[in-house]
Amino acid sequence: MSNKTSLLKVILLGDGGVGKSSIMNRYVTNKFDAHLFHTIGVEFLNKDLEVDGHQVTLQIWDTAGQERFRSLRTPFYRGSDCCLLTFSVDDNQSFLNLGNWKKEFIYYADVKEPEKFPFVVLGNKLDVSERQVSAEEARQWCQENGDHPYYETSAKDATNVAVAFEEAVRRVLAMDERADHLIPTDTVKLHRKPRSATTCCS
Amino acid sequence: MAAESSGKVVFELEGVFAHPSGDEEDTEEDFLVCGSLRIVEKDADIMMEFTPLEDSVDPSHILCAAKDSSSVMEWVQCGNQRPGERGQWPLESQQSYETEWDLINAASFKKKACVAGQGSVAGGHEQSGRFFSVSLSQLAAVTLRDGCCRHRKTPALVFALKGSSSLPSLHFHQGGSKELLDSLMGVATLSKCAEDESRLLISSPNKVLSQSFENLEDDNNFGLVHKLRKDPYVTTLGRFSKVTNYIFDAFKGTEEQHQRPPEEVANLLGEIIPGLEINQQEEPGFEVVTRVDLGTRPQVSRSAPVSADMWNGHQDQDGRLMHIARLQESIFRGGLCHAVRKEAWKFLLGYFPWNSTLDERKSLRRSKTDEYFRMKLQWKSVSEEQERRNSRLRDYKSLIEKDVNRTDRSNQFYEGIDNPGLVLLHDILMTYCMYDFDLGYVQGMSDLLSPIVFVMENEVDAFWCFVCFMEHMHQNFEEQMQGMKTQLIQLSTLLRLLDPSFCSYLESQDSGYLYFCFRWLLIRFKREFSFHNILRLWEVMWTGLPCQNFHLLLCCAILDSEKSKIMEEKFGFNEILKHVNELSMKLDVEEILQKGESIWLQINKCQGLPQSVINILALESKPRDRCDSSTESAAAAPPVAGALHRGDRACANSNGHLRAMDSQHLSKVAFMS
Repeated sequence: MSNKTSLLKVILLGDGGVGKSSIMNRYVTNKFDAHLFHTIGVEFLNKDLEVDGHQVTLQIWDTAGQERFRSLRTPFYRGSDCCLLTFSVDDNQSFLNLGNWKKEFIYYADVKEPEKFPFVVLGNKLDVSERQVSAEEARQWCQENGDHPYYETSAKDATNVAVAFEEAVRRVLAMDERADHLIPTDTVKLHRKPRSATTCCS
Repeated sequence: MAAESSGKVVFELEGVFAHPSGDEEDTEEDFLVCGSLRIVEKDADIMMEFTPLEDSVDPSHILCAAKDSSSVMEWVQCGNQRPGERGQWPLESQQSYETEWDLINAASFKKKACVAGQGSVAGGHEQSGRFFSVSLSQLAAVTLRDGCCRHRKTPALVFALKGSSSLPSLHFHQGGSKELLDSLMGVATLSKCAEDESRLLISSPNKVLSQSFENLEDDNNFGLVHKLRKDPYVTTLGRFSKVTNYIFDAFKGTEEQHQRPPEEVANLLGEIIPGLEINQQEEPGFEVVTRVDLGTRPQVSRSAPVSADMWNGHQDQDGRLMHIARLQESIFRGGLCHAVRKEAWKFLLGYFPWNSTLDERKSLRRSKTDEYFRMKLQWKSVSEEQERRNSRLRDYKSLIEKDVNRTDRSNQFYEGIDNPGLVLLHDILMTYCMYDFDLGYVQGMSDLLSPIVFVMENEVDAFWCFVCFMEHMHQNFEEQMQGMKTQLIQLSTLLRLLDPSFCSYLESQDSGYLYFCFRWLLIRFKREFSFHNILRLWEVMWTGLPCQNFHLLLCCAILDSEKSKIMEEKFGFNEILKHVNELSMKLDVEEILQKGESIWLQINKCQGLPQSVINILALESKPRDRCDSSTESAAAAPPVAGALHRGDRACANSNGHLRAMDSQHLSKVAFMS
């Protein structure tokens, strides 16, 4: 049905230092820099990919994690198609804060049906040996908080990063299809923004 | 009826009674006009219209928007303070502003004249039909009142227009006030008025984001800056981005579906409207001018950095610096050689007083060293047990540890594992938490500290220099980020003066609030230039020359260079943000400094600058003859010393280069009124 490229906006949220920028950079540029600057403000990168025959441009938004910068990042939540809740497996506090991040996102993104919105949870820094959060704990949280898919990632050695983003895309597309079934369709999908000609890809 | 043109009706309610005077005490049946109220989306605007029931409306008394939907009208109420005139129709006058697109592009500053005596007094309350149609962008606030009619309490709403006038009060005898407010929320932003619980401030969403110079006017009622301006580009697209459509609990119990904790909503508003809480003193009343022609931009060149010899030559036997103003000007013009930085930065940042002797500085350092280690000991001696009970300290510490490991790590000084520079950064930031526990550590502060540690190579000196730097930057990092809001507004004001067409373009792309400059402002361009360029840029800015807030002119200089690309390639909101983010490390510091100074020279020579611009840059109020471009003598002999220095540190010796620039270009400055 669609040869058109859809633009999907996903946003990475989580405490400062859990590796949001590193995950994004690993995925988009396939590079890792352990000493990458912490993010000030908001940034985004684009990545083209194909998932189950759908051409998609992912627009990945990365934000500053510190509480103080909430006022800067929250206006950018609107229009997100998917939210990647990120913590670091070697930082229990960042795991405990997942719920707050989810709440903040739902509130400011003005999500109409939070229970249906696609969240994906990422437990990053799998490469670090001193874990503070077990996979079981994390899975349990995901199950209890809306049955979110959970991926343990390592931006450093590229484990599960692409898989997680692809899952995010699948979740969004599945949402769309469900919506499409409700409308008898010869119609063009209007709710999905066509990719803009002037989009600058990285 | 002319004004009842086609358009999408968003809201319609019959059986609304309009009462001409805001005064509820003499509500008599006769004064009430029954009619229907509508909110209509028309062309590029959203209008609120009231149409009386009676058919026989005298067309001569119809006040409505002209065919050009961007025209607005104003009702000006006169004598509303005088009890004797109670119950009379307000003086009405109509003001139509032609906001043609091309005019906006030329972005002239239009005088929003207060019309007095220009309108005709309508024939009193025997005049039954009173139609009004007003653009939502003209609404300033709505107040809930208990209207009293036939001794029944009915809700009444009074809409205040921008300026001091208001619409006839609307009485909802058959209900519907809640529905009206609900509908308004769909197309505009309503927010609580701090001073008056029953009052809601109205602003149209996109206008909230696009700060218009023109309407940054003082509203004494609220102490708020109304910088909201109609934006035809965006409204034409019909996209009212519903950034904040939340209403407060002013109308208690009636807005269930929109209720949110007020402080959260306040935060959201504060975030999205950078200037909402801005200190009124930032934007005093405007001197409105029709147009400021800035004339040509003078070329300037920069000089060689101040050498060690030159620096030493400025010290007397006691180590007291001499000819300070001249020295500062040299630093402004060329920066410092690296060898001088360690000493000179202490003066530039204010750690050492400029007029201190060597002995005085030695004793200062002794006491500051004691003070530093006293504070350092405080966090060093916190036991694990204590830390467990101190979540704030724990959070600061955890974030400092994370950020120190990701600050300038590609710089030789900080690279490698267990680099001693990292320990310095960590300890100084932790000690700063003890120095200012309320602020603690906020991301970005490690960026500000890193060059200072690099230059000082001494923990105590670096700490106190950092403290001085933070005094300038403190507001940026505070809870409400007031410094950021203020700077974004100020930058917008300057940009509006320099390049109104670019401003309009940015507004059309929802980028008029300049959030893409956030990183520049938060950490003074630290991430935009290479490490060594930042040393140069900061020492130049720390001279305080040539004017206050020179860094904002540097922002203008960068934007000036990027403007053509952004506009030609028709960048939208996302692309602008991305483009600006990606300028990082691609900018040339000398070029930007040069351009920034040129812009300052250009502005400083102008007459008829808006007061806001004069305040932001702390320009001297100029004697008439100096700026009178028709006076040849003024052009020939400008007071150069004052040209670079602010009044309090004017230097006696003028800079030859500046003199040449001034005489060459001053005569070219032309003004239109």
